[in-house]
Amino acid sequence: MTFESPIIEWAPLAPVLIVFAAAVLGIVIETADPKVWIRRRLQVALALVATLAAAATAALQWSVLDGDGTRVVVDRIICDRHSLIWMVMIAVFAALAILLFSSRVGGDDAFAPLAAAAPGSEEEREASEKGLAQTEVFPLALFSVGGMMLFTMVSDTLILFIVLELISLPLYVLVALSRRRRLLSQEAALKYFLMGAFASAVYLFGAALIYGGAFSTSFTIIDTAIVQYHGREALVLVGTVLALVGLLFKLGAVPFHAWTPDAYQGAPTPVTAFMAAATKAAAVAALIRFLYLAVHRFEWEIAPVLWTIAIATMLVGTVAAIVQTDIKRMLAYSSIAHGGFVLVAVTSFEREALSAAVFYMLAYGLATLGAFAVVGQVREVTKDGSLGAEATRLGQWAGLGRRSPWMATAMAVFLLSFAGIPLTAGFIGKYVAFKAAFDSGGWPLVVVAVLAAVVAVFFYVRVIVLMFLTPVPEDLKDAVEVTESTGPSLVVGITALATVLLGVVPSVVLDLASNAAILVP
Amino acid sequence: MTEHMNPYVPILVMIGVATALAVAGVVVSRFIGPHRYNKAKLSPYESGMEATPGAAGGGRVPIRYYLIAMTFIVFDIEIVFLYPWAIAYERLSLFGLVAILSFLALITVPFVYEWRRGGFDW
Amino acid sequence: MGEQELFWVMSPVIVLASLTLLFARKAVYVLAGMIVVMIGLAVFYVTLEAPFLGMIQVIVYTGAIMMLILFVLMLVGVDQKESLRETIRGQRWIALAAATGLVVLIVTTVYRIELPIRDIGGMNDGGNPQVIANALFGEWVLVMEILGLVLISAAVSAIVLTHLPRSGDRRSQAERAEERVRARLNPVNKPMPGVYARRNALDVPAIDPEGKPVPASISRVLKARKQDKDGSEWRAIGKDEAAE
Repeated sequence: MTFESPIIEWAPLAPVLIVFAAAVLGIVIETADPKVWIRRRLQVALALVATLAAAATAALQWSVLDGDGTRVVVDRIICDRHSLIWMVMIAVFAALAILLFSSRVGGDDAFAPLAAAAPGSEEEREASEKGLAQTEVFPLALFSVGGMMLFTMVSDTLILFIVLELISLPLYVLVALSRRRRLLSQEAALKYFLMGAFASAVYLFGAALIYGGAFSTSFTIIDTAIVQYHGREALVLVGTVLALVGLLFKLGAVPFHAWTPDAYQGAPTPVTAFMAAATKAAAVAALIRFLYLAVHRFEWEIAPVLWTIAIATMLVGTVAAIVQTDIKRMLAYSSIAHGGFVLVAVTSFEREALSAAVFYMLAYGLATLGAFAVVGQVREVTKDGSLGAEATRLGQWAGLGRRSPWMATAMAVFLLSFAGIPLTAGFIGKYVAFKAAFDSGGWPLVVVAVLAAVVAVFFYVRVIVLMFLTPVPEDLKDAVEVTESTGPSLVVGITALATVLLGVVPSVVLDLASNAAILVP
Repeated sequence: MTEHMNPYVPILVMIGVATALAVAGVVVSRFIGPHRYNKAKLSPYESGMEATPGAAGGGRVPIRYYLIAMTFIVFDIEIVFLYPWAIAYERLSLFGLVAILSFLALITVPFVYEWRRGGFDW
Repeated sequence: MGEQELFWVMSPVIVLASLTLLFARKAVYVLAGMIVVMIGLAVFYVTLEAPFLGMIQVIVYTGAIMMLILFVLMLVGVDQKESLRETIRGQRWIALAAATGLVVLIVTTVYRIELPIRDIGGMNDGGNPQVIANALFGEWVLVMEILGLVLISAAVSAIVLTHLPRSGDRRSQAERAEERVRARLNPVNKPMPGVYARRNALDVPAIDPEGKPVPASISRVLKARKQDKDGSEWRAIGKDEAAE
């Protein structure tokens, strides 16, 4: 028996390797256990540098890439223009999220000082007084980011599963680490974990059935096997439907959305922002690669399933968002609806959809990061005058425009972008997404999508009206305060600016996105 | 005895011998052992105390035991990869060595972290 | 015995054991059932000429994963029972209907399909673990490294969520003895419990030279749980002694 070393193209992996190396280095820093303030600074700097360097490296690779892409491991991991643009997007989202992670209000960050201490216990109070901080959140987030970036390149059902776990594990834990309302946060994490584990199991079952039918886990080989092996394609089809469950779960599509409102509400707000923006982008990227490379020959069979899910997602997300009274929950349902809108494009199985999905998720992710950054700044004031938990009840947002005009204005921009009002990125995103579906004959889907979008305008505008046209209620005058910390303010500024720019001059990014509409098998 | 004896036959014989010995130990002592009982001898033994009806405190153990289980799993999975490498290290050559060493280095990081954070202190 | 016969012997065992997941009242029984399932699967793997996978199944799943689940049961409390109250009405029936649909779909699909008999003779040439070594360090080597990363995040997460650092410094035995002497407390060890002739147990007090029991010789934990005895039952001289 002989052994030949595998051929691996390492260069395209560089952005991912940078993030992973930083994550491991972060754990090493934790091991060395320096003083809290040193540890914090090191971790924040490391995470920021790593994510920005990863974004820059991926962008550099885009510019020097000769042809459509590189096969890192033949038939298993493929780096093409499509995965590169997603990688840049995810890395930028991650860098913005790290800024939110590192922000502190009144000396406290968003995370529990000592996660292992029982909520309300003596140990917790002691840890809080000593100023401890659970700085492991940075390396954990980096593991997740690295996984997401790798996710966009994977073209193999088995590797996809392992990377899916690498993305999910740190997220489950991060959700549980909220400093305030800890029981809610732990409950959210448990729900997210149980549902996530179940979805992973269903995905794995699907992947096993696909393997049974196609005798391979590689997308490329599955694709040819569907034609070659007559009589077994039904097995691949059933497997495909089950495998889609796992991916649609991460996207939060109905009926696999049940975890979203609870997890988004209970998680520390920076983590919510990170999950909503980056995880969703990674899920869409992997979904596209799986659908378009492995099983696109089943278009006729899968399309009705995806159509049903897309319609249900848009409707449930929109209708449920209307009745929410908590801003985080409302944004969670709105993010479900947005998952439906991007599915509208994806179901078309057209090349246009690739660039539409990229642009849509960019517009949505930027607005989401900004919106949650604002949410993290609106704080309750406790009786002794110190800053408490986030004021997430919609009633507490009344008159926000007077408390902090520019934060409220930025929030209005994000909400308008969510609603898809012209001159914002969201409008262009919806336009290209719906156009992709329309051109491939999916007009009934587009009609439903437009109706849902119109209804959705209602609850976005309601928040804007609440912020600007409703006066501050007398009893809440001193009970709510908008802090304007540096990190989140920076994030809000960047994302608001980008949202407007993408809405006014979208052509640059649209061109890039259409260049990225290439999948290398 | 045939020339190619099934390799599992000795194992079966061993299982048989072991079972026979275990059963014999119980049965024989029942017949030839002395039978002198008193109250203390007949009482059930739990560190010498009266057996408790239910576990104290509802039978819950502290969460820190979970860390031990977790550490065990990490090493267990390490074996899964170490074994194929160990039996084929010559063939896998330098590439295999680098691959397994980097994997081991990765595994060592959380181990050292756990140790330094006092995860093994009781 | 051929593969077929073994399959028909093992399958009912596995299916029956897996039913404990649905019907067993106590979580520990479920665990025992799962162990049977895992070992049964290992038997299948070995008969299907994947001995390495079979061994891994026993070592990792039956050994480590089951132990982890057992630990979790112990954390929750072995005797805990789940509340079966439905928070959403009719949830059980909806779930049952959906599950039946899924089972029908999968069974009919798999039933209709005729899998070709693949000739895998020679696949294990040179030994099964050797072949696996080639694959694992060949095209799957990156996956192995990614798994290393998964393990790091899992282990670190476990510490973050469960490990409470010791607050305050730990005092050594010598320091504690010195403190006791300084505080003018009893400097020597407490007497050991259980010196009665008929019972040498933790819950019976020691006896001092005057023949009186020493309450301090019993662990205060046992006293708190009311599991201690005064020892009269086992006094060497007594009425019951004569009766026996």
